[in-house]
Amino acid sequence: MTHSEENFQEKLIEFEARIARGEKIEPGDWMPERYRKQLIRMISQHAHSEIVGMLPEGAWIPHAPNLRRKMVLLAKVQDEGGHGQYLYHAAETLGATREEMTEALLDGRAKYASVFNYPTLTWADNAAIGWLVDGAAIMNQTMLAQCSYGPYSRAMVRICAEEGFHKKQGQEMVIQYAQGTLKQQAMMQDAINRWWWPTLMMFGPHDSESKNTPELQRWGIKTKTNDELRQEFIDEMVPALHALNLTIPDPELHYDEASGHWISGEIDWDEFWRVVKGAGPLNKERLAARRKAHEDGRWVREAAAAYAANMTNS
Amino acid sequence: MNDTQWPRYEVFQQDKPDKPHRNIGTVHAPDAEMALQNARDVYGRRPENYNLWVVPSEQIFSKTAEEMTLDPGWANETVPEEGTAVPFAVFTKSSYRRAMTHVQYVGEVAAKTAVSAMQKAIATYTEGDPFIWWICPLYAITRTQENDIESMFAPAHDKLYRLPNQYRTVAAMRKIKRESGEQ
Ligand SMILES: [Fe+2]
Ligand SMILES: [Fe+2]
Repeated sequence: MTHSEENFQEKLIEFEARIARGEKIEPGDWMPERYRKQLIRMISQHAHSEIVGMLPEGAWIPHAPNLRRKMVLLAKVQDEGGHGQYLYHAAETLGATREEMTEALLDGRAKYASVFNYPTLTWADNAAIGWLVDGAAIMNQTMLAQCSYGPYSRAMVRICAEEGFHKKQGQEMVIQYAQGTLKQQAMMQDAINRWWWPTLMMFGPHDSESKNTPELQRWGIKTKTNDELRQEFIDEMVPALHALNLTIPDPELHYDEASGHWISGEIDWDEFWRVVKGAGPLNKERLAARRKAHEDGRWVREAAAAYAANMTNS
Repeated sequence: MNDTQWPRYEVFQQDKPDKPHRNIGTVHAPDAEMALQNARDVYGRRPENYNLWVVPSEQIFSKTAEEMTLDPGWANETVPEEGTAVPFAVFTKSSYRRAMTHVQYVGEVAAKTAVSAMQKAIATYTEGDPFIWWICPLYAITRTQENDIESMFAPAHDKLYRLPNQYRTVAAMRKIKRESGEQ
């Protein structure tokens, strides 16, 4: 072993020991390049998801059924924009720049959560998204709030506190519509039918297919696997939806007495990979909407910069 | 892309008058005034704001305990004879347990250079065995004022629908389950 390799091994041992002791790694601390890269990949994808995630619900803000629902939805979408900002910040502490990340999203190189490539067809979709999609996000984010990188973990604690509102406003609507008129019930059931599978896909590929998971677990970035989180979600949601007389679009779904778990049928992985690779129902539209927003905001950025330059010169 | 996202500003938030300012993240802005406004939009959507500070990121000098162990020579510097000492604000983090808290304001030191300010900060603010220290010259801090409270922070108090405890979903689900059990 060369001197520098020995040096690296020593630092790596101490780094892993710190994580094992429950210490957080902070900006400025030594970390292996792989740890930094994995985190930038995860955090920037997560940030992009929050930003693109504003679009499906944002489309319904002008069509909210009453003023309260409009204010609630507006506040929720605004929060998602804020979550994107917290997360871009966390990625920047690792040396990623805002410009690089924005560019990667706009030119289609960056990934974001595929669930946001599905359309919101009726108002009830906002109810389903709040309870199912935000509910699934909370499970993942509650885990990440424990993660070993200080800035990511703190962003997650902040996000989780706000997500509680997102989930509950969705759940409140699902409860209301499931007990409403026949038309409302049908609309709610239709939304659940369309959002159930994309939500289960949010947890990612099976553990056997997830090549990053072992390394992420060893370094305390993830503490649970994709399949574990997905199972937790199914076990929480199935009895709750059944209690509301809503059905789940999975003929194979059944309760397993022995394990105490609800066992789901297989996810359509062809669809999953198709959407990840860009051929989902709205991938093109989502990116086009982001590009348009960026272009339409250009004059505001230029005006702000001119104002700032003027103030410093005067 | 030919436009940039502007310089970064570190944001420090104070919840209540008797609480210290805590670092909560960064915003990008063309100047400090707009940085404060962005900070309010990004970090002030809930009723937990009394005062905000922003500091250009490049004005922050930071050290972690781990960093100093790996680079013991960090403080080798000759402090110039001339010049006057300027006040620096000092921020520390001293517990892994308080998950939400990063560095928070603990006080001031006066020094001619950032390195000597850092050494003084480390020697002066020892309470709780800090392991992250941040310093910045006081003049680099831009603050919200008393009369900003009404326009910037007060509106959040009326938007109670942003709080999860305003939704009675747990009770509603319990009631539904009870009633379906009775049938
Ligand atoms: Fe979010
Ligand atoms: Fe959310």
